[in-house]
Amino acid sequence: MAAFPLVVNFVGDYGLKVLLVDAELTIAEVAAEAARQLAGVVVPPVAPGETLRVRVQGRGDTLPDDVKLTDAGLIEMETVEIHRERAS
Amino acid sequence: MAMLKTEEWYDLARATTWTPRYVAPRELFPRELSDVHDLPDEAFDAFDEPYKVTYRDYVRTQREKDVGAYSVRAALARGKFYDNAAPGWQALLQLHFGAATFLEYGSVSAFARATRFGKAGGMRNMATFGSLDEIRHAQVHLRFAYDYLPRSRAFDWAHKAPRTDNWVIISERHTFDDIEHTRDATSFAVMTNFAFETCFTNLQFVALSADAARSGDHTFATMLQTIQSDEARHSQIGEPLLRIMIEHGKKAEAQRLLDVSFWRCWKQFSPLSGICMDYYTPLEHREHSFKEFMQEWVSEQFIRKILDLGLDRPWYWDIFLEELDTFHHAQQIGVYLYRPTEWWHPIAGVSPEERGWLEDKYPGWNETFGACWDVIIGNLLARRTEATIPEPLPMICNMSGFELTGVPGRKGKVVDYTLDYRGRRYHFGSAVDRWIFEQEPERYAGHRSIVDRYAAAVMPQTADGVLDYMGMSPPERGTDRTGYAWVEPYRRTRGKAA
Repeated sequence: MAAFPLVVNFVGDYGLKVLLVDAELTIAEVAAEAARQLAGVVVPPVAPGETLRVRVQGRGDTLPDDVKLTDAGLIEMETVEIHRERAS
Repeated sequence: MAMLKTEEWYDLARATTWTPRYVAPRELFPRELSDVHDLPDEAFDAFDEPYKVTYRDYVRTQREKDVGAYSVRAALARGKFYDNAAPGWQALLQLHFGAATFLEYGSVSAFARATRFGKAGGMRNMATFGSLDEIRHAQVHLRFAYDYLPRSRAFDWAHKAPRTDNWVIISERHTFDDIEHTRDATSFAVMTNFAFETCFTNLQFVALSADAARSGDHTFATMLQTIQSDEARHSQIGEPLLRIMIEHGKKAEAQRLLDVSFWRCWKQFSPLSGICMDYYTPLEHREHSFKEFMQEWVSEQFIRKILDLGLDRPWYWDIFLEELDTFHHAQQIGVYLYRPTEWWHPIAGVSPEERGWLEDKYPGWNETFGACWDVIIGNLLARRTEATIPEPLPMICNMSGFELTGVPGRKGKVVDYTLDYRGRRYHFGSAVDRWIFEQEPERYAGHRSIVDRYAAAVMPQTADGVLDYMGMSPPERGTDRTGYAWVEPYRRTRGKAA
């Protein structure tokens, strides 16, 4: 796989982390990988009913879940925020 | 034969700004090494150090200091202070000797350059003493660390640290290369003697010395006191230089040097002193919090001195005041989580009693920083120790070299201050770190943090690969100094929930 470094702000964490992920992953898969590595380690586990959303730091809109990392217009070491959304 | 009084010959004896006959003044004092601010040569005639000392008096005083420090060490050598010290104090000693010794050694050459290239005779004279001071500081650090070597291999880092690419050491090198080793003698005096030594060495040496004495560590306390008395003398090289710069229309440049150096030192000493004072020092021996000490020594005394000189508060003062409440608390979480990357054995310092103290000194701590610790505590209670060491590397600030952090929890916020420069994205932990980069981008652009090196596959992209690159062989990797005993009180109150 081609390792793609991302700077991740898993909202609630005390600082940012560097995640090496497969460039072929979708945004939803990137969020799941970040949760696997960080939820329950520095932030509380993802609770049932919570969905993870990803957005580029400084931009308002979230990235579509199904778009591939390579197609999302991100550069290496881009800073993304991963936040929880509770189903209403 | 009657001796002249010191004041009758001192000023003449150190007036060594002679007229060179064989080389041009510019060759004797190259701009890049002596003064990039282009102050007129005669401006340096006004240099008048507030504290004057003769070589005879200097040697006598230094000898007395060494006799005092080494006598205390000898008298207490047979005791078992270290063995009986609190785990936090042991961590503090391990951290201090690994982090500080090579800085003292490096300062020898920094002062030696000021001795050679300083443009005022009085400055060169004082810098000579400064260089001798720093030799003594390096020696006393190495000697005292050596005493502890049979107790812990961590003290080997007093010698080993500068020859490694450990992330803490990279951070220190980046900072002190900037303010101490890669500047002309005039800028060095402002950035190191004034900004660093007038303000921040007080933190590590005065405050820590007081904590050491209260903790019963009289050897360490005495060592620190003898060092600080040297710092207090040679730091005074900076103020006359600042006055000269201001009087000759260089206030803006002086202010910029001060602003850059103050922030760079803050980013070093906040984690170093802040963690030692607020987490490692045993609760019963703490007198002031790190923030309280900073408020007294920095917010009041140092700022008063700056204003008296005709300078202004650094432009980022509000940001600094906010970080007094946050930066070292976030760093402490990371220092604990990434403990295998450290030569010392850290402690958490967040027992229920310690959390009460932290909440009292830093209102809101439990809701923010405590939220991360609650996750860690939950894992330890459930005996998921492996989950207390994160898999991904932390992001590192491209200026400070420390973790890029903010405030955790539901109300918290972490911001990455980015900058794209010549096709590379840089990441900073604050607007001030980014501002420093923007002042002289070419000075900083080529440096790669430990994370930049990791992302570029300079080292194997595995946990062991990173640790080996940093010089952390398996027996050297930090572990919880308490063996997680600190979490036991939580088992009684939270055990069932976990």
